[in-house]
Amino acid sequence: MLSVRFAVSAACCYLCACTSFVRAAEPVDFERDIAPILLTRCVECHNDTEASGGLNLTSLEAITAGSDSGVTLSAGHPEDSYLWQRVSDGDMPPEKQGQPQTLPAAEAELLNQWIASGANWPQDRKLDLFEKTNAVRGGRDWWSLQPVTSPEIPAVDQLSEDGNAIDNFIYAELNRQNLTPAPPAKSRQLLRRLYYDLIGLPPTAEQLADFEANPSLTAYEQQVDELLASPQFGERWARYWLDLARFAETSGYERDQEKEYVWKYRDYVINAINEDKPYDDFILEQLAGDELPNRTEETVIATGFLRLGTWNDEPNDPQEYKYERLEDMVHATSSAFLGLTVKCARCHDHKFDPIAQVDYYRMASCFWAGPIEPRDSKLLGGPTSEELGVDRVFGWTDLGREVSDLHLLKKGEAKHPAEVVEPAHLSFLPALAGPFDPPAENATTTERRLQLARWIVDEQNPLTPRVVVNRLWQHHFGAGLVRSPNNFGFTGDQPTHPQLLDWLATELMKNEWKQKPLHKLMVMSATYRQSSLHPQYEDHATADFTNRYWWRANRRRLDAEAFRDSLVTASGKLDLSEIGGESFKPTIPAEALEGLSKKGAAFTPSPRDAQNRRGLYIYSQRTLLDPLLMTFDYSDTTLPCAERDVTTVAPQALALLNNEFVHSQSEELAKRIAAQSDDLDNQIELAWRWALGRNPTDTERATAREHVLAQRQEFEEHEESELNIPLFTELPQQSELVLHLRADRGVELDDDHRVKRWVDFSPDGHDGIQTIATARPLLVSSAINDQPALRFTGNDQFLELEGQVLDDQHFSIFAIVRDENTGTHREIFSNWNGREGNSTTSVFLGSTGAGTIRLSDDFAASPPYPDSSDPFLVVAINSQYDASIILNATHEARKNSPLAPRNLSTPYVIGQQGNIDGEFWKGDIAEIIVYNRALDDVERQQVEQYLMQRYQLTPEVEKLPPNLLALASLCHVLFNSNEFMFVD
Amino acid sequence: MKQPQYFPCGLNRREWLWDMGGGFAGTALTAMLAQSGFFAQHALAAPTNETNPLADKEGHYPGKAKSVIFLMMNGAPSQVDTFDYKPTLEKYAGQPLPEDKEYINSGGRKVGYLTPNFRPFRPGGESGLLISDYFPEVRKHADKLAVIRSCHTDSHAHGSALVAMNTGKTFIGRPSLGSWTVYGLGTENQNLPGYVVLLDKRGGPISGLPNWSSGFMSGTFQGTLFRPAGNPILNLEGPGHITPAAQRSQLEMLEKLNAGHIAARPGGSDLQTRINSYELAYRMQAAAPEAVDLTEESDATQTAYGIGTRPTDEFGRNCLVARRLVERGVRFVQLYSGGGHLDDTWDAHTSIEKNHGQHAAEVDQPIAALLTDLEQRGMLDETLVVWGGEFGRMPFSEGKGAEGRNHNPYGFSMWMAGGGVKGGITYGETDEFGFAATVDKAHISDIHATILHLLGLDHELLTYFHQGREESLTDVTGRVIKGIMA
Repeated sequence: MLSVRFAVSAACCYLCACTSFVRAAEPVDFERDIAPILLTRCVECHNDTEASGGLNLTSLEAITAGSDSGVTLSAGHPEDSYLWQRVSDGDMPPEKQGQPQTLPAAEAELLNQWIASGANWPQDRKLDLFEKTNAVRGGRDWWSLQPVTSPEIPAVDQLSEDGNAIDNFIYAELNRQNLTPAPPAKSRQLLRRLYYDLIGLPPTAEQLADFEANPSLTAYEQQVDELLASPQFGERWARYWLDLARFAETSGYERDQEKEYVWKYRDYVINAINEDKPYDDFILEQLAGDELPNRTEETVIATGFLRLGTWNDEPNDPQEYKYERLEDMVHATSSAFLGLTVKCARCHDHKFDPIAQVDYYRMASCFWAGPIEPRDSKLLGGPTSEELGVDRVFGWTDLGREVSDLHLLKKGEAKHPAEVVEPAHLSFLPALAGPFDPPAENATTTERRLQLARWIVDEQNPLTPRVVVNRLWQHHFGAGLVRSPNNFGFTGDQPTHPQLLDWLATELMKNEWKQKPLHKLMVMSATYRQSSLHPQYEDHATADFTNRYWWRANRRRLDAEAFRDSLVTASGKLDLSEIGGESFKPTIPAEALEGLSKKGAAFTPSPRDAQNRRGLYIYSQRTLLDPLLMTFDYSDTTLPCAERDVTTVAPQALALLNNEFVHSQSEELAKRIAAQSDDLDNQIELAWRWALGRNPTDTERATAREHVLAQRQEFEEHEESELNIPLFTELPQQSELVLHLRADRGVELDDDHRVKRWVDFSPDGHDGIQTIATARPLLVSSAINDQPALRFTGNDQFLELEGQVLDDQHFSIFAIVRDENTGTHREIFSNWNGREGNSTTSVFLGSTGAGTIRLSDDFAASPPYPDSSDPFLVVAINSQYDASIILNATHEARKNSPLAPRNLSTPYVIGQQGNIDGEFWKGDIAEIIVYNRALDDVERQQVEQYLMQRYQLTPEVEKLPPNLLALASLCHVLFNSNEFMFVD
Repeated sequence: MKQPQYFPCGLNRREWLWDMGGGFAGTALTAMLAQSGFFAQHALAAPTNETNPLADKEGHYPGKAKSVIFLMMNGAPSQVDTFDYKPTLEKYAGQPLPEDKEYINSGGRKVGYLTPNFRPFRPGGESGLLISDYFPEVRKHADKLAVIRSCHTDSHAHGSALVAMNTGKTFIGRPSLGSWTVYGLGTENQNLPGYVVLLDKRGGPISGLPNWSSGFMSGTFQGTLFRPAGNPILNLEGPGHITPAAQRSQLEMLEKLNAGHIAARPGGSDLQTRINSYELAYRMQAAAPEAVDLTEESDATQTAYGIGTRPTDEFGRNCLVARRLVERGVRFVQLYSGGGHLDDTWDAHTSIEKNHGQHAAEVDQPIAALLTDLEQRGMLDETLVVWGGEFGRMPFSEGKGAEGRNHNPYGFSMWMAGGGVKGGITYGETDEFGFAATVDKAHISDIHATILHLLGLDHELLTYFHQGREESLTDVTGRVIKGIMA
């Protein structure tokens, strides 16, 4: 599994390069024999900018100047030449990563002969590391840097009659390789492929059936046009760009601050794709939307691209961190738009591509004029709204038209600044090279980014169109024509179909950089429409296992978002009503929240309905990415990601088998089915149609029937066994019970029917007492589902408890209450006494005006809060490990550490804050139970059950009957199937 | 040749014929389901195959250690109070650190005077290795420890330094040490994750996920968070009504569906891989809870680890779970002591005595028990135990007369034991104040190179091709610390 990729590619090139060395008995020729050796083996470290050991081997003049160790070349005398001595000793070239790099004998011999024969070096010949591709690196003649050609469409004999030009290129190559294309895909497979490809959603059973009935090319084309015009197209394809742009909505690191309004950038991308914004404009806006003459709010939003990287508000050295930020921007820009690894030239000339170190700094200089200096961390490294010129936008701009000098850094280290860098175009495209113009007279920015962007979109820049059409191909077909989409350099892959790549690039520019025509061209091709199966599979797979020549379509596994969206589609809940807007937070299992370091920062999921939007809209928090998406190879978000991994690992199977979300979707689908029909055969058919888009076969029907019936029986038995758990007639947990107040017993009233004493039924006897008549709550006999409760007016009414209720830091509190939200804090149970110094360390349980439940100052949680008319059970537990608040035995919020130690010794009260006479409860309190220990989950559930039953409260968890659960089980199996997960 | 039994779903004759050459239909799951007892008590060794990136594999050379237990003291313990005795601090007590010592004052906190160790140091074992009274139990194992006193790192801030200790760089997005390890060596037990992280109940480390991320590598190599009780990983158990029998029915039906599907798709190795992944998932459901089931351990063992008593219970459980995981073939286990922020971690800004007193008391006995246990089971030779924080602390107090110490990335101590490490030695030195590493400096990349080396991996050869470059854990740095090798 260790990567051998580079070793292999280098070895291949090396073999080619060597052919020039094996000529015999001819006089040594500098250009033919010696220059390649020096360029390949020596000049990397012995050149004008880096002259290791004082030795520069790039020109006659330099080589004559010698080195730190003396004379380099003594013409005619290899033995006196330092160069030869080091080579023959095997010291040079030096070993690399522990591997000797000794010169092959043939090369050494040539070198020796050359020196012996007088070391002829043409007078003006200057060796340039980048001049030519050789065995170990790419030069300016590297394929991807050459102008885009307009290749002729090859003529092919046995073309499929309904294909297009793409097929000519593909079939011509297949012919050369003695391969044949697969037959056309079956109509249903084709339509399903097209849907997932273009909109990331499955077609309905009806759409599939219609198309199957009329699978003509015209019908297909109509589908293509409709899908390309659908808003879901932008949602699907935006995701690919967001991965490339390293999109996430927080900064990462300790505080992981939210990047407010960054979702507008996501919407910008969706809209750009849906409107088919020309790709050159798309680039100009993202790099320089603030500098454009026709600048709008939208183009400024686009500059968010530059700020999407991680951002550390507490770097080790803020001055050095500036250069990390530059690297992030250079890397994102060059990866996304150019498919080059410019960042590799930060510390030295690029090791493999003709990118000089100064080129890195030239690109970096474009971002140097922005807010790169350390400033107020609230700005998250960006400009203020004033500087940006728009409000509520997460964008980038220069802080003026003047900017301090950027120095090239030796070894990329801030400590070692070298010469000042002149802003200029990168040098590897000589036709477009040259320094930047100064900003226009009326410009408020440096206009460097604008010039960089214009250089990128210049039609003479061959990388830009090639890189983007390759990405389109990659996503439509499952792999690029260049299989390293972000690396068109020497260590990347070479194109399998260079002519086709150029033809597509030319088409893109002919279409004024509009991409939809290219999308259409690709999906209309016969190559796209072929089957993923091939009659001569064995032979073809032997010849071309990875399908580089496209002799069949690639079968593909659903990616994370398409998988999630497919589940929600099947359950009938998918909400497509709104394109864009703020993201939603998914429900994340408490276990997965444990990785967060922030105390008390309970992750609050969005309401369930909001979670029915597409996976694209899931909030991506860098320190906590959605575990379900992560399981299915969601992008890492820290670096530009051109291609997600596609793994097939056991945790995916575990998620599909057990994950709560997957089960909930199965149950939703079961309910959807049951609402339509109560006949099992019909239900089975609907399950197949909604989950898989087709009718079941007879065998499948039979198996499904058997499964549902067996599961029904199993679930009935299970339900019965659960029913056999006895109802609790008595409070099920007695150990460490320290307070038990219930309004149906032990309430002593005064003449006004007000409560003067509430007797505690725990062994401890902490009775609640109120001596002042006006401060006594009323006893209402039928307050909560026909049960009595104490009614508090919210006005100075409360009870004092006798004695110290708690003496253990771990405790559990249960209360049956009804709450009239007064818009301010109000307490059920409290020992607050600021005079005793426990204002921040007291214990209290109550609610806030904001609709949250509070367990002391440390922990506020916001489960869906009941209306004032609805009684509810609130439970708060502080354990050794964590604290939790649970409402109606349903909604649980957990803080992943216990409360800080509490002062337990001050007096306890019911119905207000404590000694401050404030935060009075308004509403009913029917029962309070307190334990001097943390109940575990099972114990807690028993007490909950006991109370919920007595007060006729129902947990909000909907429990389906066995017949529906059995149907859900069937749906669940379908979701688990390979048919669901793979697209043919 | 087996005929497709289920769902020919409209195969035409030609497809039917292809299928004759393609016979796949997974039978292993059926066989397994037929075994008596739905939940096997002990995990079976999963069949390895070449497409499994986590398959157990050879390193670059035979390594002494087969697995690693990394005891991460989150928040950064003070070296001069634990493993780097500086008697000269007595002499200089109350004086400032000399002005020629340059440093970043992390967080712009108060700067006080040089302050000696808060608890005395005493020699331990035959080696007489000096360890302070914060670690009396670990001290009994002095002869097993190689204390590296000259560690240094690249950031004074927790967030970046934690990420650096785990990934080699101060910025997020790179694969962690555990990821590199399982990338290089795979793991022995396919029924459990190869790289497990056990957090402190008080919370995760600052920066969260990137600390155990696989960065630009496949997510397969990412660390798996493990809870030390019950269901240790996510998605191990479905809702209550999905009883073992109900799940069996589901899997049987699933197998039939998948068999029909793959039968019509010759060459479906991707499909077969996914079918196989269900077998593994099925085994993990049993293997993972079994691995954390401490009831299988004797009372004596549990007591030795401090389980059932405060304050050692939690870390004791984690240490015992770590041993059980390593015993079951897990490659890399990282345990966090401390979670969240400030005094919930070793981040002793206000009081070394109070903070380290608490945290050391939580971990001292469990760590000692772990070393004893590994040794008694003959596992210590093959298990590398690493102890350390993300940086160290200053030799001066945080404010005049104060008792806390601020962050110090310039010099700190870590130790290793077992797995090919020489015991009872120290390596490297800090200056006379214990402020900065001076002799045999050990950068965190050197620590990483050394750990990989002990596992049989060459840090320069262990590369991952990403974005045009052969990336490695140590990048262009890293040196194996030969001085601690047994």
